[in-house]
Amino acid sequence: MSTNVAPAVEARDLTKRYGDFEAVRAIDFTIARQECFGFLGVNGAGKTSTMKMIYCRTTKTSGRLDVFGMDAAAHPREIKSRIGVVTQDNALDPELTAAENVMVYASFFGITGNAARAKCSALLRTMNLEGKERSRISELSGGMKRRVAIARALVNDPEMLVLDEPTTGLDPQARLAVWQQLLDFRARGITLVMTSHYMEEAARLCDRLVIMDEGRILAEGTPRTLIERFAAPEVLELIGVDLDAMRAPLDGLVRRQERHGEITYLYTDDNSALLARLAQAGISAAQHVARPATLEDVFLNLTGRELTE
Amino acid sequence: MNPLAALFHRNSWNVFRRDFMAWQKYAFSSVAINIFEPMAWFLAIGFGLGAYLTLGKSSLVQFIAPGMLGLAALNAATFDACWGAYERLNFNGVYESMVTAPVDPLEIAAGEYLWQAFRATLYGAIFLVVIAAFGLVHSWWSLLSLPLLALCGVLFAMPGLAVAFLVKTQEHLFYYFSFVTTPMAMIGGVFFPLDKLPRWLQDIAWWTPLYHSVQIFRALVQGTPSIGLLWDLLWLVVAIALLAYVPVPFLRNKLAR
Repeated sequence: MSTNVAPAVEARDLTKRYGDFEAVRAIDFTIARQECFGFLGVNGAGKTSTMKMIYCRTTKTSGRLDVFGMDAAAHPREIKSRIGVVTQDNALDPELTAAENVMVYASFFGITGNAARAKCSALLRTMNLEGKERSRISELSGGMKRRVAIARALVNDPEMLVLDEPTTGLDPQARLAVWQQLLDFRARGITLVMTSHYMEEAARLCDRLVIMDEGRILAEGTPRTLIERFAAPEVLELIGVDLDAMRAPLDGLVRRQERHGEITYLYTDDNSALLARLAQAGISAAQHVARPATLEDVFLNLTGRELTE
Repeated sequence: MNPLAALFHRNSWNVFRRDFMAWQKYAFSSVAINIFEPMAWFLAIGFGLGAYLTLGKSSLVQFIAPGMLGLAALNAATFDACWGAYERLNFNGVYESMVTAPVDPLEIAAGEYLWQAFRATLYGAIFLVVIAAFGLVHSWWSLLSLPLLALCGVLFAMPGLAVAFLVKTQEHLFYYFSFVTTPMAMIGGVFFPLDKLPRWLQDIAWWTPLYHSVQIFRALVQGTPSIGLLWDLLWLVVAIALLAYVPVPFLRNKLAR
């Protein structure tokens, strides 16, 4: 019974070191069954290392990591048989065709012969890859390769799909197609765990997410609560104005403000009220952008707008 | 589970099947490349140099022909265990995708042993047919060369894979070819009898697997098997048992990063 109620993934004080380098630093998170959970962060934030521990590619250095209530380090085979994995680089076999890639992978789950063939053609159809069965991987576009990798990951009817940057490097149409697929999987009750550095993607797909930086989790919540907590509903970007001159007139309307180069960011509940107040005060805001706040603002507020590399 | 028990694991045979499926697509060129070069050596030394030499009552070409079986097994297994496996690990994501499925690196290594056994048997068998066509096969005992080729494939795969899983760049594989396999081919008793070599070189030869396999191949092809050859067979079996573990930790280490 306990595995039925255990969360999909539970991490406490989870740490991963490679030599002297601490990739993941004592992070805590819990992923519920059937939710879409995201890890957001720049390259090197520790997202991929966390993924690798979840799908049992590598083991933790310390702390606790349970998948379906089982210690990930002790039960890799059981866990891997119940999840699907799409790695960042697809890891498709270039010497085989699309269908052969799926069939070989199926054999590792004990699915062979006619059952494997039926499964393979059904999955490639689901991923809109009809007619590509006999194509070599090198003949496929980036979007098709990603879809083959996703089809392959579904071969064992996984309860949870782990996707490391599922849309990085795809053109906008291919990205939309992948998003649609992931939303379908979520609707079918498959737990989704993904990393991304596209905030828009995370906001659209994820029920909950964490923002990671330098191996730590900086914040956790739904996209909405994160925006509420670390930004504001709306943002007014003003270009080339004197911030000090307008501090008094804007009192009470601006939740927080920030300047980066020539641009001043004003976080507010209501951009139109803010613009009206600026006009009253006689401040020219000829060059401005009024927009809703996004996860991007949350992210940049938490990690800083400066290029850190 | 130990690597030899893993030879019977379902996943190991699936790894073998993957390699076979990939190989089918370039089987012709693979066979051609793996046969042509040793054939050139065989013809040049056997018939060319051999025309000037006799070895007691036997001719040099008669001496070399069965030795070529051992050399074929060595080349077939070494080439793919080094270049092929290096690419499957580092460039193609083949092993990377396998370990996202319920496959242990141990089963990958065992699958590669099976695959190199197949290659060694196939390329050795082609050589057997060729030397038979030259009238250089004298006994039905020669058919036992086939399981021996498979055994040699497994054995030669092990150090090759260990090197492929250990080195940081593909160029480093040449260390293994230049310092290990090529000298072994020279002193393994393939091209000339070792009894006139300095004692220390003979001792080194005894420590190579090629030497022992060539002793058996020669006796089988010439139809002169003896009980003493069981010691050579035992040598090969012990070497397999000892080396079977060696590539696994290197592979496990690379895949866990």
